[in-house]
Amino acid sequence: MQTLYYVILVPMTYLAFAVFFIGTGLRLFTIYRTPKYPAALQIFPEKHPGRLWAIHDALLLPTIRKHNPLLWVFLMLFHIGFFPLIIGHIELFREFGIFQIIPHEVFPGRGFVGLILCLSLLFFLGRRFFSPVREISTPGDYFLLILLFLAALFGSQMDWARRWYGYDALLVENYRDYLLSLLYLKPELNFAVLNSGHAFMLVLHVFFANLFLMIFPFSKLMHAFTSVAMNKLRRG
Amino acid sequence: MNDEIKADKILDLKDLPCPIPVVKISKGIKEVQIGQVVEAHTTDPGSLTDFPAWARITGNEILKTEKGDKVFKFYIRRVK
Amino acid sequence: MDQNIRNDLLKLFRENLSRAMKLYLETCSRCGLCVQACHVHASMPQLRYIAAYRAEIIRKIYQKYFKAQGSFFPRLSEAKELNDDALQELYEVAFSCTGCRRCMVYCPHGIDTEMLMSMAKLLLVGARREPEMLSLLADTSIEKGKSLALFKKDFLTGIKSLESRVIEKWKCPAGQAPIPVDVQGADILYVPLSGARSIIPAAAIFNAAGRNWTLSFFEAVNFGAFLGDPARTRLILERIIDEARRLKVKKVVACECGTAFRVMKQLSGKQPFEVVSIVQEMARYLREGLIRVNRSRCNGPITYHDPCQIARNGGVIDEPREILRHLAQDFREMSPDPAYNWCCGGGGGLVAMGEDTLDFRMKSARVKVDQILATGAKIVVTACENCHTQLSDLNDHYKMGVEIRLLSSMVADALVGPEETASTNPEKQTLRETTRIPA
Ligand code: SF4
Ligand code: SF4
Repeated sequence: MQTLYYVILVPMTYLAFAVFFIGTGLRLFTIYRTPKYPAALQIFPEKHPGRLWAIHDALLLPTIRKHNPLLWVFLMLFHIGFFPLIIGHIELFREFGIFQIIPHEVFPGRGFVGLILCLSLLFFLGRRFFSPVREISTPGDYFLLILLFLAALFGSQMDWARRWYGYDALLVENYRDYLLSLLYLKPELNFAVLNSGHAFMLVLHVFFANLFLMIFPFSKLMHAFTSVAMNKLRRG
Repeated sequence: MNDEIKADKILDLKDLPCPIPVVKISKGIKEVQIGQVVEAHTTDPGSLTDFPAWARITGNEILKTEKGDKVFKFYIRRVK
Repeated sequence: MDQNIRNDLLKLFRENLSRAMKLYLETCSRCGLCVQACHVHASMPQLRYIAAYRAEIIRKIYQKYFKAQGSFFPRLSEAKELNDDALQELYEVAFSCTGCRRCMVYCPHGIDTEMLMSMAKLLLVGARREPEMLSLLADTSIEKGKSLALFKKDFLTGIKSLESRVIEKWKCPAGQAPIPVDVQGADILYVPLSGARSIIPAAAIFNAAGRNWTLSFFEAVNFGAFLGDPARTRLILERIIDEARRLKVKKVVACECGTAFRVMKQLSGKQPFEVVSIVQEMARYLREGLIRVNRSRCNGPITYHDPCQIARNGGVIDEPREILRHLAQDFREMSPDPAYNWCCGGGGGLVAMGEDTLDFRMKSARVKVDQILATGAKIVVTACENCHTQLSDLNDHYKMGVEIRLLSSMVADALVGPEETASTNPEKQTLRETTRIPA
């Protein structure tokens, strides 16, 4: 068991990050190496400047707001939720004063960010079971959502345990020691990370998150990096 | 003049929008036997160039073109 | 399917992958927003008429042959083998898409389904499974250009026969040809369709505006584009470009044909001339007072159908409305606004396939009929021959009881000389007050 924990927490994590960065880089490279389409692809009426409107479209999803407001609410909650999430993970390495502009305990959001993410993912998953989205979904679409849901669920569990139930055998300091040791390439697993009662949650969270990172570059998740460019094509 | 060429089928393609005359003649020619003649009436001057080009592509033969005041008449023999 | 054929098709696929196409192929999040976008699906709710579903067929082939995921985990993305069945499916989705790009308005990523369908069409051309009629029309058009010398005399005869009808609409000064052809150094090269309807009104308008113009030998419509064959599209386009360069014109004016305008405007590349639509020219003449029209010549409520390739995809949206402000007393905009205009259902070569597609065209455009009827207009004006034909078919089929007109013929019929009281300067209020009808 300890070996399995080790494999997931150390080598697999390194691998996941390598695949994520190299994969994403290569994917973007192969796409941008392909010659441009020779004609304009924009649609009208147009608004200037196209670049800003493209960013607006990619970040605020105006067409979804207009045509499917409920989906839009969940999409916005979900995507915005990534900000506190990423900040929270960074703070697991080290606290930065700038993030404390809004004073919070690590992890920001008092556990609700994770909850919102999990609920939105359930919503996304649920709607895939109903026509007409069901018919255009591929198996990969479901797996991706399930995977994300699992990663988010186990991650949030740890947060919830500390915040809502006062669980104190696995604390921010323990994560910080673990993550910093990874960062400085001297991987070291402390007692709490390996042996506390909630260690299995950490391991599962890291496992699913690693899978997610490794799948990212090869899936439609790349829209995180391509959507602005695509909206730019439409805006001209 | 019709006494020289006898048409086996007459197609009225008058006042049709582009490119329907060509579409209809392509269909119409298939409705006669090889060797038979279709007589097509058009009003569009475009057909004066469209039909010969079409005939070259499809390998059919335009026997005669009559350029009337308003109506153009084509006599086309199905070759293929 | 023969392995060699498949390899050839895949080669075709690879060679025609552009950056945009890759982005479109790899990014659809299958959110389903485009379900409501397509007029075909709105009129006949079937799975295969959903934009994303159409695109998925080509996307699954892409997954299979161009993506590692498709070879390692084919079931995840349902990677699809390129075989006869797949080609059949491609045919069904590609030739039921009119290329209106309304789905692009909805998609959060702006995925261009038309472009993905053009890849489907390209594979069909490669496999010689394209619609025979479109192929024949494209070849006929190319042949006409190639053997210009052979057909020139007949062409000129044909044009001569139209002159009297141009003069009926507008008398030009003695000694001036009503339809000038092959004029070196003319300002404008007007590229018509192969039909009187696109020549006579335009000629009258150019003459009335006192333009130095010349008629092209070639027809504007690009059947290569309908077919989805880039090679033939280029051939048909290039001879117009060559003619424009040879005559040293400053401007190429495309007739009322959506595809022609879009292809010429977007694929001509950098040239010493600019490409505009006749709609833009007419609007300019009215604006600058070069021509005058009599507004009292058209009565009754009028609406305007935006041809997708001219408006949404070509950017000519305000000009036709500007013209109609001069012509119509009661102009009514279709609901909700031009960006959401429904396609007439005749694009993508469907009209050019004639009666073969009639049944489909009528069924798939039911939403367009509703959109028109909701305006209560009695005259439906458009600026595309293809839309005009389709709308006329719809008018007959659904017994809509409206009149379908082309904008240029409306303008030509209303032309008046400076002596008549004309409405060159309509009161600005009309548009505001009459265009917004309650949805
Ligand atoms: S709207 Fe765009 S992203 Fe969503 S399913 Fe349709 S094509 Fe895909
Ligand atoms: S381009 Fe038009 S016809 Fe084609 S899928 Fe999109 S909405 Fe439908």
